[in-house]
Amino acid sequence: AGVLAAHKITASSPDTDLPTVSGLRKMGVNFTVSNKDTVKSSDVLFLAVKPPIIPFILEEVGPDIEARHIVVSCAAGVTISSIEKKLSTFCPTPKVIRCMTNTPVIVREGATVYATGTHADVEDGKLLEQLMASVGFCTEVEEDLIDAVTGLSGSGPAYAFTALDALADGGVKMGLPRRLAVRLGAQALLGAAKMLLESEQHPGQLKDNVCSPGGATIHALHFLESGGFRSLLINAVEASCIRTRELQHLADQEKISPAAIKKTLLDKVKLESPSLSVASAGKVSLFNNKSPSSKKN
Amino acid sequence: GKVPANSILASAPSDKNLDAWRELGCRTTHCNLEVLQESTLVFLATKPHILPGVLQEIRPAVGPHHVVVSLAAGVTLQTLQRLLPAGTKVLRLMPNLPCVVQAGAMVFARGSSAGDGEATLLKSLLSSCGLCEEVPESYINIHTGLSGSGVAYVYLFAEALAEGAVKMGMPGGLASRIAAQTLLGAAKMMLETGEHPAKLRGDVCTPGGTTIHALHQLEKGALRATVMNAVEAATNRACDMAKD
Repeated sequence: AGVLAAHKITASSPDTDLPTVSGLRKMGVNFTVSNKDTVKSSDVLFLAVKPPIIPFILEEVGPDIEARHIVVSCAAGVTISSIEKKLSTFCPTPKVIRCMTNTPVIVREGATVYATGTHADVEDGKLLEQLMASVGFCTEVEEDLIDAVTGLSGSGPAYAFTALDALADGGVKMGLPRRLAVRLGAQALLGAAKMLLESEQHPGQLKDNVCSPGGATIHALHFLESGGFRSLLINAVEASCIRTRELQHLADQEKISPAAIKKTLLDKVKLESPSLSVASAGKVSLFNNKSPSSKKN
Repeated sequence: GKVPANSILASAPSDKNLDAWRELGCRTTHCNLEVLQESTLVFLATKPHILPGVLQEIRPAVGPHHVVVSLAAGVTLQTLQRLLPAGTKVLRLMPNLPCVVQAGAMVFARGSSAGDGEATLLKSLLSSCGLCEEVPESYINIHTGLSGSGVAYVYLFAEALAEGAVKMGMPGGLASRIAAQTLLGAAKMMLETGEHPAKLRGDVCTPGGTTIHALHQLEKGALRATVMNAVEAATNRACDMAKD
């Protein structure tokens, strides 16, 4: 997103047949199948693998981690302390940052939060913030809020897609062609979100501004209220947050034997997710080339 | 306190209701016509089905100097003007119960011959009883659904709040007084700050705290929609009754 030159970025994946890989190559990113090589040539490491794989990646790259490295994990439910614990066998003061982002980073409208670990400095956090701010909103939070963020903006796009699908259905029911209905629904949500972000006003006030007395909108809102629309959304955010905590809890307890995970999941990894590392010079300057920020949650 | 008591003349067929007026120092009579002869501003506060008869009775005594204000629910300005001499200054008023404690909510609409002077007079007199606003006649039934009947919704809510507290171990009398004060205080904040209720609600909700947990329960019960249904039902009923 214009923050980093593509050739300063290295991505690695055990499986080179993945579509993500060719996409990255097209952008001009350096590519390797060796995680270790990536670590050697980078300062900032993004671990973008599925949560159960994290321990194995850390084992693999641990020996090559030096004091200068900033390890950034986007894995849902993987705590800073668990990463620090794993890396401390290799490096006394590993710099760890945990972040939670969401899929719209792809269109540079992501919502990202990060929490800094014990040995990460303020500048390290700011560096990450600068990188992630290039693909959307990014702010620092206390680690204990990350589960709530997952429930809200991590899962949030899914709620929005569901709503849009249904809104489009409503449009189609009332006579609109599907494509137009989808386009208009999406634009309506986009516009509303933009208004809210740019306004000082409370969403309740913005809602009122749309509702002329006895008009169409207030009739429609009454239906939403009757269906418990608000409570459904509250329930959804709560459920996602609670489930994230559950998964983290399960992971912490390491209920599945590591050997079993290693066998089943590493095979899966070869088919599914690459691990990426982002290279960065000591200072971060602005370039014109696009830089990728693809993640797999 | 805007008008001296002895300037007020109240008329009723029996003494049943007149004692209250006399206690306040007002003069009383059993003759409606006397009120028309002695007064300029006349309030008609009969039951709706009685009103046409009363209007017939007083019609000969009504003159261009009179200002006639009807409180009869469902009796339209059109009907009032039809039953009174042409050109009579007529206004229609809808109060609510808390007027008796000077915290009422009143709306009024003017007839075709009532002018700014009459509207200003009425508004300034009634403001001593609470909020008084002029509206188009079409809002009067909505006011019934919102505020006329609305007072009862609040009593219901207050009762339920208190019951919740009793369930959690608080004595009923205390719970009731605190419930009422809570409603009073919240309403006062809304009126004095002018802020949107959604904002005021957010201000009370600390993250993960007690309030947001409770609000979630209210949303699960679709309280908002239920309240909207209530206002709608009362308004519709007011419209239906007006047609009878």
